[in-house]
Amino acid sequence: MALPKYCTPMERVGFVGFKVYCTAVLFFLVAPIIIIVPLSFNATPYFSFTEGMLTLDPSAYSLRWYQDMIDNPQWFNALKNSAYIAIAATIISTILGTIAALGLANRKMPFRNAVMALLISPMIVPVIISAAGMYFFYTRFGLSQTYLGIILAHAALGTPFVVITVTATLSGFDHSLVRAGASLGATPVYTFFNVTLPLIRPGVISGGLFAFGTSFDEVVVALFITGAEQRTVPRQMWSGIREQISPTILAVASILILMSVMLLLTLELLRRRNAKLRGLS
Amino acid sequence: MNSQYVSFKKVQKTYDGEQLVVKNFNLDIAEGEFVTMLGPSGSGKTTCLMMLAGFETATNGDIYIDQVAVNNLAPHKRDIGMVFQNYALFPHMTIAENLAFPLKARKMPTDMIEKKVKNILDMVELGHVATRRPGQLSGGQQQRIALARALVFEPKLVLMDEPLGALDKQLREQMQYEIKRLHQKLGITILYVTHDQTEALTMSDRIAVFNEGVVQQLASPTDLYENPENTFVAQFIGENNQLQGSVEEFNSDHCVINIGKEKVKARAVKVTNIGENSTLSIRPENVVLDPEIGKFDNIFQAKTQEVIYHGDHLRLVVELLGNRNFVVKVPSTSSHNLMIGETISLGWSSHDCHALNAVAS
Amino acid sequence: MHLELTSLPSVVDMQDPLNEDQAKLKQNLQKAERKKRLRSLMLTLPLLAFIMITFVVPIAEMLYRSIDNPLIAKNLPNTVKSLSQWEQQGLPDKEAYNALAEELIRLYQSKSLPPLASRLNIEVAGMRSLMMKTGRKLSTFEQINDYKTAMIKIDKRWNNIEYWGAIKNLSSKFTISYYLAALDFRQNAQGDIVAQPEHRQVYLNLFVKTLGLSALITGLCLLLGYPLAYLLATLPDSKSNLLLILVLLPFWTSLLVRTTSWIVLLQMQGVVNDLLLYVGVISERIQLVHNTFGTVVAMVHILLPFMILPIYSVMKGISPDYFRAARSLGATPTIAFIKAYMPLTMSGVGAGVLLTFILSIGFYITPALVGGRSGQMISNFIAYHMQSSLNWGMASALGGILLLTVLIMFYLFNRIVGINNIKVGN
Repeated sequence: MALPKYCTPMERVGFVGFKVYCTAVLFFLVAPIIIIVPLSFNATPYFSFTEGMLTLDPSAYSLRWYQDMIDNPQWFNALKNSAYIAIAATIISTILGTIAALGLANRKMPFRNAVMALLISPMIVPVIISAAGMYFFYTRFGLSQTYLGIILAHAALGTPFVVITVTATLSGFDHSLVRAGASLGATPVYTFFNVTLPLIRPGVISGGLFAFGTSFDEVVVALFITGAEQRTVPRQMWSGIREQISPTILAVASILILMSVMLLLTLELLRRRNAKLRGLS
Repeated sequence: MNSQYVSFKKVQKTYDGEQLVVKNFNLDIAEGEFVTMLGPSGSGKTTCLMMLAGFETATNGDIYIDQVAVNNLAPHKRDIGMVFQNYALFPHMTIAENLAFPLKARKMPTDMIEKKVKNILDMVELGHVATRRPGQLSGGQQQRIALARALVFEPKLVLMDEPLGALDKQLREQMQYEIKRLHQKLGITILYVTHDQTEALTMSDRIAVFNEGVVQQLASPTDLYENPENTFVAQFIGENNQLQGSVEEFNSDHCVINIGKEKVKARAVKVTNIGENSTLSIRPENVVLDPEIGKFDNIFQAKTQEVIYHGDHLRLVVELLGNRNFVVKVPSTSSHNLMIGETISLGWSSHDCHALNAVAS
Repeated sequence: MHLELTSLPSVVDMQDPLNEDQAKLKQNLQKAERKKRLRSLMLTLPLLAFIMITFVVPIAEMLYRSIDNPLIAKNLPNTVKSLSQWEQQGLPDKEAYNALAEELIRLYQSKSLPPLASRLNIEVAGMRSLMMKTGRKLSTFEQINDYKTAMIKIDKRWNNIEYWGAIKNLSSKFTISYYLAALDFRQNAQGDIVAQPEHRQVYLNLFVKTLGLSALITGLCLLLGYPLAYLLATLPDSKSNLLLILVLLPFWTSLLVRTTSWIVLLQMQGVVNDLLLYVGVISERIQLVHNTFGTVVAMVHILLPFMILPIYSVMKGISPDYFRAARSLGATPTIAFIKAYMPLTMSGVGAGVLLTFILSIGFYITPALVGGRSGQMISNFIAYHMQSSLNWGMASALGGILLLTVLIMFYLFNRIVGINNIKVGN
C-alpha cells in the first residue's frame, strides 16, 4: 500500500497514523506471548527483567526453571496425562466428526440445521455450564475421576471443530470426482478411501489438530471431573497460578508456546498443500 | 448389429414432484452409433445422460443397456465410460495413477495395468506426461487424459457431457476430430451431450434436439438442417428468418401462406388446417439478390436497413413482408453496389421455405 | 450403418403427463429422495448419539436441578398435607405442628434430617440449626401431648410465620425459588414474590456487570480489530500471510499461557509497572491486575483474534472495484471508505461482534485468575456455587439463565451469519 502522489497532507498523516495504529495492535497481540520466553530464562525468581538481563549478561540467564520443571515428577506426569487424554479424545472426535460431516455435506439432509446446531453446541455453550452438567452426570455413572470420563468429555468438546472444518472442506469438494470413481467401476467404499479421503485429508487433520488443541488446553472440565491421578498440564498450571506462582510456570508456558508455533506451522503447511491439491497455486 | 443397444422407454424425471425436467423420453441407440443430445441449458439433456450413467434415478420409465434394465444397477456396475464436463481427473493422483484407477478397481494384475496405461497414453499421444499431476497439464491435455481414462477399461458405451466446453475454439475443433477418429477406430457407442450445434452437426450419426424436457426432433445432421420439423428446431439449428402468416391453401407437399396482402409459396411441413397461423422459415443463404425472373417461385421487394461486411459474404438486414430483421447472405462477389434505404428484389424457392407451426406469442 | 428416421412418441406427445399420474410420480420421487436423505442422516447418528449422551443430557439434567425440589414433599408428606389449607396468614393450626414434630423425630432418628435442613436454610438463614435442634430435642422427650407448645419452647422461632412459610413455599415437587433468587427475588412468608433485601441483592448487578463488561470487551476488540483486519485484507498476499500468522499465534496459544503472561506482566513488580515507572508516567507502582482492569485487558487480548478473523475473511472477499468506483465518482477516500466499503463489511462485523460477545459472557478462566474480587463474572459465581457453597440448584439456575442468553445470541448469529458459515482458524 503505497500512497499516490496526489494525496493531500491530511491523507498522508491519516495513512501513517493508520499504519502506526495497526502496528501497535499487532504488538499488543504478540508481545505478551513472546515476552514470556526470555523471562523464563531468568536466573532470579522474579517476573521482571533484571538489569543483568537487560545488559545481556550471560550470568543473569539460566535454565534453572526448566531444570525445576524436569525435576518435578508432577509436571512430567501431567504432560503424560495430557498427551494420553488429548490423543484418545482426538481419535474419537476425528472419527465421529468426519463421518457426521460426510452426512452434513448433503444440504438436503432432514433436520440438517437442528442437527448441525446440536453438534456444534459444545463449542457455543459456556464451558462452566458444560463442566457443571458433566460433573453431576459423570459422577452418577462412576465416570468422574477416571480417564474414560475426561476422554469422553474432551472428545465431546472437540467434535465441533472437526465437524466444521471437514464440512467446510467437503463443501469445496468436487462431487463429480466421486461420480467419476463410480463411472470407472470403483465401489463406493473403494472410491471413498482412494478419492474422497485423500482429498479431504487436510481438513480432517486440521480438525483433528483443533480437537487436540482444545483437549490439551482445557482446564475447567478437568477441574470438575478429574482426580489427582488424571491431573493434566492445564490443571497443574491452574493450581500453580492460583497457589504460588513460580517462574517454573513460565518455563512450562514457553514450551507450550513452542508447541503452538509448531501446530500453527503445521496448519499453514496443510493449508498450502490443500490449495495446491486443488490446483489453486 | 443390435439396433437397441441403449434404450430409454417412457422416461420421466422430476426433482420437485411438480416440474418435469424430462417428459416422456424415448430413444434407441444402435451399437456403434454416435448420438448427440443437443439443446439449450436446462433442456433435460444432461439429466438423461446422468440417468443412463446411474447418477440420477428416473422418476418413471425404464432404461435398458443391451436388453437389460439398469434402473436398479449401481453406477459402478454399469461398465460405462464417462467424460465429465470439468474432466473430473483426480487431482491427488498422477496421470498414470488416474488411468490405472479403473483397472485397479477391477483388480487387474499389475503388469497388465502398466501395459494398458502405456497403450492408452500412446493412443492419445501423451506418453510423456504419465508422472505429472492433472494440475500441471494444459486444458487440452487434461481433456485427452479424461478421454483416455474413460476408454482405458474398454467399455462398449461411452458418455460425454459437454467434454469440449472448456476449450478454446481451435482446440475444440481439433478434439472433435480426435473423438470422431477414436469412435471409428474403436467401434464403441457414444452418447454425447452438447449445446454447441456445430459440434453436434460435425460429429454425430444422429442428433436428438431437446427443449423443455422433450425431444423436438431426432434425425441425421443433414435432415435436421434441411428439414426441421418445427419452429424450435429451425431456430436452434443454424440461422433462420421467420415470417408469420396464415394458411390459405395446402396439399400434402405445398401450401400458400398469406402475409398481409402477399402470398408466399412454401413446403407444407407442419400445416394441418386452412386459416390457421403458421411460421415460415427461410435460411439467409437460400435467399437470392436480384433473382432471374422465372427461376424462383417467390420474389418480393425489400428495403435494405444495414449492410455488414463479413469477408466472404455480405450480410444484409432488410425489411421484408413486415419483418424488419430479415437477414440475407450475399456473396461478396456480387456486382450490385448496395445502398442503405435502397429497394431491392429478393427471391427464394418454395422448396427452401418451410411452413411450420406458429410460434406462441 | 444406415438408420431409419423414426418419428418418436416424444415428438408427437407434447401433452403434460403430470395430469395423468402425478401421484405416482411424486411417490416415486419421494422414495428415491428419501433413501438419499436418510443415508446422510444415518451418517450423523453416531456423533449425534455421542453428543447427546456425553454432553446434551448432562446439561439437560443439570437444568432439571434448577427446578427440582424433591426433599420437602418426600420427607415431610404429612406436614405438607396439613399445610395445604393454610393461607399463610397467621400461624398454622395444631395439626401442622403435630405432623412436623412427628416427621422431624422420624427424620432425626433415621439420620436423614441434614439435607432437608440444609435445603431450607438456603431460603431462610438459620433454619438448618432450627430444624436440627428441634429434631434432636423432640427425640429426647418421652411423651408429648402438645407439640405446638413443646416446639415453641424449644425455639421461639416456631412462633414465627417466616419458617412455616418457607416449608409451605417449598412443598411442591418443583420450584422456581432458585430462579427467583438468581434474579434477586424471593417468596416471603405469605408466599408473595418480593425483591430481596438490598444487602442480598447480588445477581442482577452481576448479570448487568457481566453484560456490561462483555459489551466493553467486544467494543474494544472491534476498535482494535477492524483497522487491523482492513490492513490484512488490503496488503498483498505475501505480506498479509505473515501478519496473519501473528494474529493466529495468540489464537493457538494456550489460554492459560496467555492469562499467565498477563499476570506476570501486570503485577506490581511486573514489566509494565517497571516500564511505566521508567518512562515516568507513574510515580509509584499501581495495581493493574486482580481487578476489573486486568480482566478487561487480558480478555480483549484473548478474544481479539475472534473479532479479526471473521471481519478479515469478509473483507478479503470484497472487490477493490467498489472503492475505486466511489473514488472515480468523486468521493474523498474517507467518504468512499464509509459509504462504499464499510457497509459491505457489516456481515463480518456482525459475526465478529456476536462471536466475541458470546464467548466473553461465558468466560471463566481469565476472570477467575486475574479478576480478583471486582473482576468476577457470572461463570465464576456458578463455579462458586458448584464448589464452595454447594448450592447446586442455584448454580443450575444461574447456568440456565446464562445458557438462555447465549442461545439467544447464537440464534441471532445463526440468523445473521448462518450456521454453515462458521469457520475456525483461517
